[in-house]
Amino acid sequence: MRRALIPHKGYGIGDDWVFYLLILIMLSPLLVMSTASAESGKNTQPIQIPNPSADLWREVRQRDAIAVGNSQVKSADSGVLINPYGDKWRNFRMTQLIPYGGYLLAGMLLLLIIFFIVRGRIKVVSGMSDKKLFRYSLYERTIHWCLAAIFLFLAFTGLILLFGRSLLIPIVGQEFFSLLASASKEGHNLFGPLFAVALVLVFFRFVRRNIYQKGDLTWLLKGGGLIGKGHVPSNFFNMGEKSMFWMLVLVGGVIVGSGLVLVFPVFGQGRVLMELSHVSHGITTLVMIVVIMGHIYIGSVGMEGALDGMTTGYCDLNWAKEHHEQWAELCEEQNEVIMEDEVSRLQGDTKANSMPSSLTQETGQ
Amino acid sequence: MIGELIDGPLWYFAFGVFVLGVIYRIISILRAGLKKDFSRPRAEGSAGALRTLFSRFIPRRDVATRGRLTVIAGYLFHLGLFALLIFAQPHVTFFSERITGFSWPALPYWAFIVSAELAFIGLLLLWLHRVLHPVTRLLSSIDDYVGIGLVFLVMLTGCLALAQAFEPLRLLHLFLAELLLIYFPFSNLMHAFTFAFSRAYTGATMARKGVNA
Amino acid sequence: MARMKFYCDAERCIECNGCVTACKNENEVPWGVNRRRVVTIKDGEPGERSLSVACMHCSDAPCAAVCPVDCFYTTADGVVLHDKDICIGCGYCFYACPFGAPQFPEDGAFASRGKMDKCTFCAGGPEEDHSHEEYSKYGANRLAEGKLPLCAEMCSTKALLAGDANVVSNIYRERVINRGASVLNRGVSYQNASLRQTRGMEGKASNKK
Repeated sequence: MRRALIPHKGYGIGDDWVFYLLILIMLSPLLVMSTASAESGKNTQPIQIPNPSADLWREVRQRDAIAVGNSQVKSADSGVLINPYGDKWRNFRMTQLIPYGGYLLAGMLLLLIIFFIVRGRIKVVSGMSDKKLFRYSLYERTIHWCLAAIFLFLAFTGLILLFGRSLLIPIVGQEFFSLLASASKEGHNLFGPLFAVALVLVFFRFVRRNIYQKGDLTWLLKGGGLIGKGHVPSNFFNMGEKSMFWMLVLVGGVIVGSGLVLVFPVFGQGRVLMELSHVSHGITTLVMIVVIMGHIYIGSVGMEGALDGMTTGYCDLNWAKEHHEQWAELCEEQNEVIMEDEVSRLQGDTKANSMPSSLTQETGQ
Repeated sequence: MIGELIDGPLWYFAFGVFVLGVIYRIISILRAGLKKDFSRPRAEGSAGALRTLFSRFIPRRDVATRGRLTVIAGYLFHLGLFALLIFAQPHVTFFSERITGFSWPALPYWAFIVSAELAFIGLLLLWLHRVLHPVTRLLSSIDDYVGIGLVFLVMLTGCLALAQAFEPLRLLHLFLAELLLIYFPFSNLMHAFTFAFSRAYTGATMARKGVNA
Repeated sequence: MARMKFYCDAERCIECNGCVTACKNENEVPWGVNRRRVVTIKDGEPGERSLSVACMHCSDAPCAAVCPVDCFYTTADGVVLHDKDICIGCGYCFYACPFGAPQFPEDGAFASRGKMDKCTFCAGGPEEDHSHEEYSKYGANRLAEGKLPLCAEMCSTKALLAGDANVVSNIYRERVINRGASVLNRGVSYQNASLRQTRGMEGKASNKK
């Protein structure tokens, strides 16, 4: 009957029905007064009848602060009647984080592809030499790949949870995706703390070589050698790598901190803190993934000779001269250049041993 | 259908292969016998065997310093793995239902998670060390990688199934564990049992020669 | 088609927690889970009011919007339910819900979340009505029996109203008008008006002759 009077509303009472009631409550004194005065016939002044309900609702629904009460149900935030930040978080996640995050990742991928097509693989101009420089120790390589493996696992599981509903459910179906998401959640939770451990190990191992020094500004101004011709001399790590390291440490620290807040809801942290943690976790991880995508690109297909240091521990002398000139010169001064065959022998590479060509090489640098 | 197979017959088959295989391997090692040692023993062999069996748990000083990473990672992995293999609540329940018939006190859940974390970081570090170190890479055979891979996959699927709410995830974990059980007796993973024999043999031989090793 | 809503009349709620107990008992909810709770604002101060809150069964439910596995659905009665077979216990609905309705049984270490549990408006879940599965996962399905949620039915002061939104708002509007009228009529304060009998004003069912 009532619905027939307001057909366009339909279910419109919806979640705003509390609001309508609120208006009704606030208006009701006036309504009552008008009827009462009409009945009595007296010309009375309007009497203010404060309605405590209206005050209460105004208080708990106010948007600038959370009214906290008391509840016999004891758990985190049980005294909070209405948490207005919940809806803000929802809007952030659904209308900003997921779409823009998706565009960001897709854009970075596209950018890398375009860059690869335009610039191609960055070659070692003077060709790969037969001389090597020792670059990363076994321990350094181990913790790097440990961090890398954990990061990749966390990134994939996190992305499944973030984009799965819009991208995967239509393909694999809800039930299978639920299975996948549960596995992702448990794996993400379990491996998260390990990321912190690996990050700390990497930080202490590499921090000394990553302190900014003279020449880094020049590198930045010349765009790392990407703009124009010629390589910019740099030390063991160049300005870009140093920046990536500090990004990894600082952003990674935020990721670890916010992740720990989210994964251990045992310290009575409230929803607002968790929402903030989730926001920062989402933004920082996307930034991190984008930067690491660039890191993976330049380390693998993007540059010739860049991966060797991290896999074998030895990098090519010419590559070092072109990309880390100061360091290469220092190594040459200190007689740390090693012949390729020596490296092969050290690594027990049987193929290289069987090659007699090593005999023809000059010995001693 | 596949689930019933994994949960039922395949499990008993795998467990049978494991038990019989391990017994067969150990018996064949014992039956191989020892070379006769004609020298006059300087000390009792069995005491040395026993001592070495336990003293080797503490690495020699040079090993402990130069191979610090592998020692730490090795202990993390093995202790974590045993803790969660034997004392994790779901495993205790499984063992008591399927094998022993009685249960024993399980670790609290948080300790189970902590031991899983330790086992994972240990295994990752050891695995990477094996791949990256030229000597261990040279020494490693396909057998080692299959063993590591299976153990890692069993641990990973176990961790993915932590919610204990999705039957397929549990079955995947169980299936990989069954593969591991079948693979176990015929691989380097037998070191879980044979380490005792090799240590005891070395200890006994050395003790007979009067060498403190 | 009804559109089911709860409304708690703060002028009547006496914070007896009867609704909380009724809900726990009727639905056999897991330990540590309270689908409904009573919150007292300004406890011990003038203007103290209590409200009973649970899932409000929003039309545009934030929990359903943010769920990464899309496990929420709205029934024909406008009740927001979720499928526990799909839920992964991520806690996002808990962040998004303004009322703090989603609850998580502690499942495993470090309070890691189990599958979410929340008020179902005593409407069970996606399983077959009155099946054992449904009861063990979601609790009672009173709606299918033609009954309203037990919390509201057992409310001693009839502060907690449940049912079709139109009916609920009609009842509440009548109460508000009667209270306002009795203030004018008898010169009592608003609080007294809501508690005492009104003379000449037919407001309460108990007062009708």
